[in-house]
Amino acid sequence: MLPTRSTPSSSKASAVGARDAGPNRLSRRRRQEVLHAYLFLLPCFALFALTILYPIGRAFQISLFHWSIVPGGASDFLGLKNYQHALHDPVFWRALANTGFYMLITVPAQIVLGLLAAVLLDARMPARALFRTLYYLPVVTSWVVVSLVFRYLFITQGGLVNWILHDQLHLVAYNINWLGARWTAMTALGILGTWKGVGWSMVIFLAALQGVPKVLHEAAAVDGARAWGRFRAVSLPAIRPVVAFVTVLLVIGGFNVFISVYLMTGGGPVDQTQVLLSYMYRQAFSFLDFGYGSAISFLLTLIVFVISLAQLRLFRRPAGAS
Amino acid sequence: MVVGGRGRRRGAMALRLALLTAGVVVMLLPFAYMLATSFKPNAMVLEIPLKFFPEHPTTANYVAAWTSNRFAQYFLNSVIVAIATTAAALLLSSMMAFSFARFRFPGRSLFFGLILIALMVPTMMMLIPQFLLARDLHVLDSLWGLVVFYTGGNLGFNTFLLHSFFQDIPSELDEAMIVDGASPWTRYWRLILPLSRPALATAAIFTFLASWDEFTWALTIINDPSRYTLPIAIALFQGQHSTSWGLVFAASAIAIAPVLIIFAIFQRQFVAGIASGAVKA
Amino acid sequence: MSNRRLLEVLALAVLAVGLASTAAAQAKTTITFWTAYSSDGPEVKQLDSVIIPAFEKAHPGITVKDVTIPYNDLHQKLITAVAGAQLPDLVRSDIIWVPELANLGVLAPLDTTMSDFKSLSDSVFPGPLATNYWKGHYYGLPLDTNTRIWVYDPATLTKLGMGGPPTTFAELKSMAAAAKQKGVYLYAEGGTGGWNILPWIWSGGGSLTNDTYTKASGYLDGPKSVAAVQMLVDLYKAGELPNIIVNPNGGLGTYDGIFQGKYASTLDGPWMFAIFASSHPDTKLAGSMVPAGPGGSVSVVGGEDIVLTQQSKHKEAAQEFLRFMLSPFAQRQMAEAGQMPVLKSADGWLPAIHGYYDTFLKQIATAKPRTPTPKWPQIDQVMTTEIAKAFQGTETVQQALTNAAHQIDALLQ
Repeated sequence: MLPTRSTPSSSKASAVGARDAGPNRLSRRRRQEVLHAYLFLLPCFALFALTILYPIGRAFQISLFHWSIVPGGASDFLGLKNYQHALHDPVFWRALANTGFYMLITVPAQIVLGLLAAVLLDARMPARALFRTLYYLPVVTSWVVVSLVFRYLFITQGGLVNWILHDQLHLVAYNINWLGARWTAMTALGILGTWKGVGWSMVIFLAALQGVPKVLHEAAAVDGARAWGRFRAVSLPAIRPVVAFVTVLLVIGGFNVFISVYLMTGGGPVDQTQVLLSYMYRQAFSFLDFGYGSAISFLLTLIVFVISLAQLRLFRRPAGAS
Repeated sequence: MVVGGRGRRRGAMALRLALLTAGVVVMLLPFAYMLATSFKPNAMVLEIPLKFFPEHPTTANYVAAWTSNRFAQYFLNSVIVAIATTAAALLLSSMMAFSFARFRFPGRSLFFGLILIALMVPTMMMLIPQFLLARDLHVLDSLWGLVVFYTGGNLGFNTFLLHSFFQDIPSELDEAMIVDGASPWTRYWRLILPLSRPALATAAIFTFLASWDEFTWALTIINDPSRYTLPIAIALFQGQHSTSWGLVFAASAIAIAPVLIIFAIFQRQFVAGIASGAVKA
Repeated sequence: MSNRRLLEVLALAVLAVGLASTAAAQAKTTITFWTAYSSDGPEVKQLDSVIIPAFEKAHPGITVKDVTIPYNDLHQKLITAVAGAQLPDLVRSDIIWVPELANLGVLAPLDTTMSDFKSLSDSVFPGPLATNYWKGHYYGLPLDTNTRIWVYDPATLTKLGMGGPPTTFAELKSMAAAAKQKGVYLYAEGGTGGWNILPWIWSGGGSLTNDTYTKASGYLDGPKSVAAVQMLVDLYKAGELPNIIVNPNGGLGTYDGIFQGKYASTLDGPWMFAIFASSHPDTKLAGSMVPAGPGGSVSVVGGEDIVLTQQSKHKEAAQEFLRFMLSPFAQRQMAEAGQMPVLKSADGWLPAIHGYYDTFLKQIATAKPRTPTPKWPQIDQVMTTEIAKAFQGTETVQQALTNAAHQIDALLQ
């Protein structure tokens, strides 16, 4: 979860209680405040630093070497050569393109469909809690299980998807070879990703919509706005920060797609559907080239970081939106 | 002011329900397929074309999954780890969030930024360094090893969620307590936490879910089968040459049940928590 | 007795019990054995309820703890364990991982570690034994083996008006064309990797590398290898081979296809019979040798080896268990659970357990191993990728194999 401000505003995160007059009392209070702050912070941050930051550092160190996995084995220092290798590796770029395509499908789809579902649920209606739970069901199911189920749903002859499209609805002239070609396979993966994540964004949007003050809706209605107009004029701007938040997280999630690709296509056929993480996994655990695998993961991190920053700038631009 | 009258409103509601139901059907189709297969006897090979309704439905798979090699034990292990992780993560991250929300101190932006960046690194690549660390801490092959690392992994997201919520609690309330002589710990425990129930419920559900479904780390550090967790148990039904799909899906259904129950119960808190946590981001 | 005396006796009794149990605990060694048997399969049941108790009875000081790990994750877990020096005593390792593990230095060379290695190695089939060889030493012994034979549904062949399975390349071609007329694929194959294509290359008289596994150019892209692959590509282009060869996940799998009668046959191992017996008992499969080409009928060796790790602290005890797993008793128990034994002497009793083992035994006598090298996963990847291009038509067979051979040369250095 990313704040739209880079640091919490000082008006809210006030140094509560540090307003007493007098220089001596002030500095003593300040010192006490800082002490308390650290007391609350450090147990948590220590665990975080130990289990997350330190391994990240080690992983970065590994990326600078041709790392030998045997303890005590000799590792050659490569500097940034692993990174250079990645930038010249056609499969790396293909994986990046595939990951990008995957996000082009899943991110807008989850936002639009999630918002649509939330709008539909944003009314007093029977069985609302039931609908919410059912839409959320895919979110709580394990990736491994749904990937295997979807692999069977997308089988060319006799899979559910083709059965519906071709045999029942006659929407397509022939059975689509979903997992057999690059773009159809990535689309199938995108459909899985969207299906799995819609419930998550729906729940967040629903909460946001319910937080929009009723007075705004009523004012717009008085001005003669109909449902769609009210939505555009009132609801959308009000939930803009939420859309930003959801988008950033969906992008991070999209970049981290792995299990579904691993199980549905294995990166194939012929490496056509590799995504960054599946490629990294193979380099590290099949070919035992941990240095290279690490380098790929840090390049991924860098890309995610840059894109997230850009997104936050983008969403911050219109006046009064934050 | 009613525009269009009751009829139009009823029509609109009917349309809503129709669209929502259509959506639910699409969402549930894969599950229907899973459930149907879980009730088929001996489904070693998935059937094509699909048959939604098994010809001879049976609960044999559920019985077999539950009574198979230690499944109940794996279930219990998962429960223990998930609850311990959730409790620890909630306590630690709420403390850190409180610190960010209520105090100014040197290094604050740095700490915040580090947490932010760490969220972007793929966890897969930390596997080996974390394994080496777990070995050095002597928590390999133990449920503690799971709890420690799961908690660490959830601290970042939870802190952001809670921090945002804490910020919205008016500081006037804090000041009232300070005038009465309350220590920061009292403010944290007696004021902030009780007011943050929705956000805490949200963080709890996310953390529980993350711990419940986690597979790779558990598989990596646990060697003693008596300490396996549920996702490993499900993976074990997949053999080298074939998979007992009926068993896999029955076991998965059993695994989904607790999370779904928790979500159904805490729904309202959950949604309220998301509202405040996300909307005010 | 006085209270004081009673107390003394009690104290002595407690001490005695304590000493006895410590002594017993010290005398008991526990060895850990990692496998990838499926948790609900018959192999684990045999291991846990028959074989291990029998071993522990014969060796009262040793306890064996077997740990099942999902097959798809076993390799990753082994690699992580190497990095953290957390390997168990014994591992039932897929044969293709043994050279990699040996190269990492984590396996004990059994030919120098075990005093009776010669007699043990003489008792097993040479093909499976060769999978343990790396740089002058043997780093394991075969535990169970398998190979691919021609598995078919006689009922489907009868429907096609065919009397029996093809026995030569020529028969394969003509029967495949005839089957296509009736809308059936005679043969289905699910990939273009070594496991899939090497039986054809070898039966065609070609090879992947030279005998010392140092060079692929001139061998993989030699005329006989090219001809064998060309035969399959021609079948594919004529619509007589289903698309799953290029696209394993995108079509009807081999088992599904055979069950539905859309495919007549495939190449597969002994487990296929057990799986069909359990899930499709009405389909009665039969087996025959891989169709013979200019090189005869040569298939590929699969299976698992049992390896001992260098870091094991109980090497002697582990070796005892290793010997036991290779004993006729244990091998026979596992054979009943569908695991083909590695003992040459199995000729005598194996076919009695399951009739189809007869064909497997004949096939394994000439079966060859995939190149034993730590780089096998990369070599396999190169083969899969390049040969798929030949099927897709983006390259000719000769081009594809020459490209592959060049890349494999680099990997073999």
